[in-house]
Amino acid sequence: MLKYISKRIFLVFFVILGVTIVTFCTMHFAPGDPEEVIAIARYGEDLTQEQIDWVKVTEGFDAPVYIQYMKWLDHVLRLDLGQSLVTSDDVLEEITIRFPATMLLAFSSLIISLTIAIPAGIIVAIKKNAIIGQFFMTGSLIGVSIPNFWLGLLLIWLFAYTLHLLPSYGYGGISHLILPAVTLGTSMAAITTRLTRSSMLDVLNQEYIVTAKAKGLDNRTIILKHALKNAMLPIITFAGMQLGFLLGGSVIVETIFAWPGIGKLLVDSIYARDFSMVQGCVLIIGVTFALTNLAVDIAYAFLDPRIRYE
Amino acid sequence: MATNKKRKNLNVLITCVIIASFLLMSGCVDSEEEATTTNELTVGISTDVNNWYLSQFPDGDGRFVWSQVYETLVRLDTDLNIEPGLAESWETPDNGTTWIFHLRENVYFHDGTPLNADAVVFSYSEDSYVKKMGALRALKSVEAVDDTTVKFVMAKQMSLPFYLTHVAWPIMSPSCVDAEGNFISPIGTGPFKFEDQVTDQEIILVRNDDYWGEKYVLDSVIFKVIPEATTRVMALETGEIDMAIKLPEYDVSRLEEEDDIEVYRTLTTFTDFLQFNCNNGVFEDKEVRKAVAYTIDTEEMVDTVLEGIGMAAQGRAFTPTMMYSNPDLELYEPDVEKAKEILADDGWSDSDNDGILDKDGKPLTVTLIVGKGVWASRHTAMAEAIQGSLNEIGMDVDIQVLESAAITSLENDGDFDMLLRTGYFVWGPYPRHFFVHQSTSPYSHYNNSEYDVLANAADSTVDEDKQQELYYQLQEMVLEELPAFYLVHEEKIVAANSYVKGYEITAEDPWLNLNGVYIENEQ
Repeated sequence: MLKYISKRIFLVFFVILGVTIVTFCTMHFAPGDPEEVIAIARYGEDLTQEQIDWVKVTEGFDAPVYIQYMKWLDHVLRLDLGQSLVTSDDVLEEITIRFPATMLLAFSSLIISLTIAIPAGIIVAIKKNAIIGQFFMTGSLIGVSIPNFWLGLLLIWLFAYTLHLLPSYGYGGISHLILPAVTLGTSMAAITTRLTRSSMLDVLNQEYIVTAKAKGLDNRTIILKHALKNAMLPIITFAGMQLGFLLGGSVIVETIFAWPGIGKLLVDSIYARDFSMVQGCVLIIGVTFALTNLAVDIAYAFLDPRIRYE
Repeated sequence: MATNKKRKNLNVLITCVIIASFLLMSGCVDSEEEATTTNELTVGISTDVNNWYLSQFPDGDGRFVWSQVYETLVRLDTDLNIEPGLAESWETPDNGTTWIFHLRENVYFHDGTPLNADAVVFSYSEDSYVKKMGALRALKSVEAVDDTTVKFVMAKQMSLPFYLTHVAWPIMSPSCVDAEGNFISPIGTGPFKFEDQVTDQEIILVRNDDYWGEKYVLDSVIFKVIPEATTRVMALETGEIDMAIKLPEYDVSRLEEEDDIEVYRTLTTFTDFLQFNCNNGVFEDKEVRKAVAYTIDTEEMVDTVLEGIGMAAQGRAFTPTMMYSNPDLELYEPDVEKAKEILADDGWSDSDNDGILDKDGKPLTVTLIVGKGVWASRHTAMAEAIQGSLNEIGMDVDIQVLESAAITSLENDGDFDMLLRTGYFVWGPYPRHFFVHQSTSPYSHYNNSEYDVLANAADSTVDEDKQQELYYQLQEMVLEELPAFYLVHEEKIVAANSYVKGYEITAEDPWLNLNGVYIENEQ
């Protein structure tokens, strides 16, 4: 097991390296002169060409891309993510300020999504033709189709504007968390419900379920103890991936609810051509994504004793 | 079976308790907030203050916050008239090259250090972004003559006091930085002091009780960062914020009908304009630009697309409330037939009957670039209206919505036909904007040496009558030559709950005047 984990961590290192190289190249080959965009952000629109050229030289944009990347990597290996090109704030500090908000939102929406999706998926699987099954299937179809920004605004309108029950924006107590977490959670639940359903149906058709039925076990025990445990594997994999994405922040939900997360920081930095901030965000997001997936793989071993890592 | 039912009942009960406790919790939060709102104003803005120091330009809504903490030497009143700020008076002994400012006495920074000539020199040090901008390129030196007198020496004659009104060029205390020159905290002379900031959430300011000017009523101002305009409006309607700045046009008519919300509107110094690429492509030909100007009905655009918010410009570059705005301009009256005639006389015809004009085998197809920035919601709708109008005269418009870096790249290559923009080089009421069409400007796509000379001459004239004459000429020239067709004078929208009293909206955009504002107690 330990050998497997260390091997995986070693691989994660290369994955992250690849991700940063791809990001660096995409950012540098995107249209537009970064020096001009950065100069406007720093000094306003009323600029002279000399000023733009000065930014180009001082930020090292005149060097070839691979040299710029090596320089960045050199700093990162010394645990220095550098300073924002636009605001000169420390990149690591800016990210750590926002990361707790992102984590909180990610885990809460994942919990909401799983609490809705797993029971719903089971019901749909065992009551295929009943009205309740149809109801959940239609519900999940609607859930997949509703865009987040619309659902978010609708929830604000209902719970904050009309009913005055919850705050419409911001970060703070649990009351601030409910609307953004529900917005993200329900849209994810829709897909997980469908996955739970198909996974359950697969398992329910297997022979050991028939055996269990023949043994005279009641339905409840068969579904919750025998079927669900085996049906969980793909669901866990998928939930792990969703968590990875969520930890990268959700720009739309963060913007609508004024949630101070990492997603909006990243997108704003991309528009501002703030290379060091973009690289820093991508590095942190990449690491969390890779580690979440590693954790999922390890969790397999506990769920399914047949899986052995040698 | 019986136990199952019991369990079900228990589940229902637990769910109810959870929901009820959430409701209680949120209820508590609300009542707590209400209890403390007596003399505290909460303002919703769209972006955080990402910089407090003079080394960088404060972008976005950060300037509304700056203008509470920092002050300028010269300032503008609500109607854009110039008035003394931290400088009590000023004079120019040599007709605009040297400017001497006399500072107000007994003014103190928030940390108790006095405002003196050294603070002004510090605020224009080599570190300051002001020194890196185009506008003050001519600034040679700033020196302290004595404790309360500062001398600015310019390389050319210019009306410096107008430039010094910009809220983003304030006077900061040298104690803003430590011995190594690293920024510590924002220290200005303004009516409010910096108290606290939580990144991307809020900025808290408290009243400066030693303020030199008229005392403010508000004890504190809290700026809440809410990026999405729709959320900002709803937070205003629920009373979570007391005032919201910069609201979208489409929300105004609904808010104006609400009894407990007051909507404030005024013309700003910004104007939306359709900039032509006059250096290559079809708009190199002035007649084609003219045809566009006669086709676009800006009044209809304001009435329909912008729901009556804003003022039709009909080609006029400056809002009538701005200084030197020429009142006798002959504006463009929409006349589609005339536009068609102009194009026909210019040799354009629809030879292949596809509805699009052509000349020498080339179709009249043009690109219109729209930015993704703060003005995107208005600009996209306006661009679609322009596309529809121009189609009537046989011009095919391809709208491209792009981010700013992609636009600069197309601009540098000259690979576009029209650009929809707002503002640019807007300096309070002063018409510095004309430099945008000067051929040396990075944003110019017009090349006319006569225009370049005239713009320089107007800027470096100090005599008011002469300056007015030159700026009048420039406005006529823009209308005739059409480096851009000016569409709509922007109207700024601020909305507040009706218990916010004493607010007066200001025409100068990044300035928020809270003098005299108070919260009326509802009890």
